[in-house]
Amino acid sequence: MSPAGSADRPGPVRLGYGAELEQLRLQTEVMGLRVDQNLERMRQVLVTGDPRLAATALAADDEIDAMNVSLTERCYEVLARENPVASDLRLVVSVVRVISELERVGDLCLRVVKVAVDHERLTAQARPFDILCVMADESIDLFRAALRAWATDDLDLATELAIGPRSLDLAYAQLVDALVRLDGPDAAAAAMQALVAGQALERIADHAAILGTRLRYLITGDPNHLATEVRR
Amino acid sequence: MTPDQTTAAEPVVEPVVTIAADRAPEPGPAPETAPVVFDVRDLNVYYGAFRAIRDANLHIHRNEVTAFIGPSGCGKSTMLRCFDRMNDLIEGARVEGSVKYHGVDLYGDKIDPVEVRKRIGMVFQKPNPFPKSIYDNIAFGPKLAGIKGDMHEIVERALRQAALWDEVKDRLKKSAIGLSGGQQQRLCIARAIAVAPEVILMDEPCSALDPIATARIEDLMQELKSQYTIVIVTHNMQQAARVSDRTAFFTTEVNETSDTRTGVLVEYDVTDKMFSNPTDERTENYVTGRFG
Repeated sequence: MSPAGSADRPGPVRLGYGAELEQLRLQTEVMGLRVDQNLERMRQVLVTGDPRLAATALAADDEIDAMNVSLTERCYEVLARENPVASDLRLVVSVVRVISELERVGDLCLRVVKVAVDHERLTAQARPFDILCVMADESIDLFRAALRAWATDDLDLATELAIGPRSLDLAYAQLVDALVRLDGPDAAAAAMQALVAGQALERIADHAAILGTRLRYLITGDPNHLATEVRR
Repeated sequence: MTPDQTTAAEPVVEPVVTIAADRAPEPGPAPETAPVVFDVRDLNVYYGAFRAIRDANLHIHRNEVTAFIGPSGCGKSTMLRCFDRMNDLIEGARVEGSVKYHGVDLYGDKIDPVEVRKRIGMVFQKPNPFPKSIYDNIAFGPKLAGIKGDMHEIVERALRQAALWDEVKDRLKKSAIGLSGGQQQRLCIARAIAVAPEVILMDEPCSALDPIATARIEDLMQELKSQYTIVIVTHNMQQAARVSDRTAFFTTEVNETSDTRTGVLVEYDVTDKMFSNPTDERTENYVTGRFG
């Protein structure tokens, strides 16, 4: 038994276990930051169409995927070895779910990047392009808020993300409205391209909301907060 | 939803709404539907001047498995022994407060401890079969209690209920000492059942057993709870989480005046809640293994 593990003395026992859980939490945050970097690249590619930056983003996503795999494995290991319960169990299961959300956001980000490389067509129509840029800004803001809530265990922020208004709904409706009004020989192709990007950005915002609900449940353990995330 | 449960004419309902509606909100402890078997009020147990349990209050419900968990010396076994007045057998033991069994004070003047133990059976940590045949181990209690009826039938029924019959039916006259540890423990459960008690108390019934034997006893508890009320003391938290409907967490408090420790009941709730979202920080720390 470790020196700190005596039953007669109050104090932390299972020191390695606590450190492992903290590592899971931190590594999840690191993965979130990698996704955030790629979202920033996405925004730049959307504005500039830079193919070199697009290639960097594609390569970076492989690292994000690898992190998803290795973190998932670590969660399995902790579950098998330590039998976590109570808030520990919620943390490990939340990490599994949160990293798959992050991985998904990474994929959606790439979807926008791939579309944005064809910059000439994307920028040919000013209004849809402007709306897309606004949507990119808003979705990134929401994702960062989710990341901040995770890093600081902020229940208020998590709740706001989980049940707050969905600001991108309006922008998405405006985008669709603008796209159906397009005409000209290239209209259909341009509309499809912009729609793919717009849907991806809207989904990123949705995932930020889901991250909020996951964190909310992790903090409170209230089953009703699980129901909220199903409804989302 | 299966196709026959819905008709084509029904409007399409978003399944997520159904999920949310199905989930009944559970504020606080679960509704106490099962009748109360034991009603413990302001229980204090002393061994001489030493107070082993302070101010415990809880209800044990019928046809449920209730688990007592907590660190060593927290009073969980002492509490268990209050239910069949086993503490009476310890010199200097004293019980204050009330332990009511179906509304009757177990520590009332007119209560015969032997009568109590007929209704409330006990299974101990270490299997303790009598050095007699398997058959005599089971028949001993009913004979002593003056239970009338076909003794063979009583023995067979008890052994069947304890999931031991098929393994021992061909050697009922052989010594019980020749059985494996897991079989001996099931024999002790059969012996407790043979006198037709209402409650079975188990004090760490699996701590001397291997995982397979443990799993059998745990399965057995699930089968038995439809007929009996079971209270189990366990050091194995996963076991408490697996088998019990409700869990009580006890811990120790160091007394300021002397260097002794007193057991206190910290939290008592439905097991799912105790292991997923305990209310008291001390429970959380104990079940997660952060503080012993």
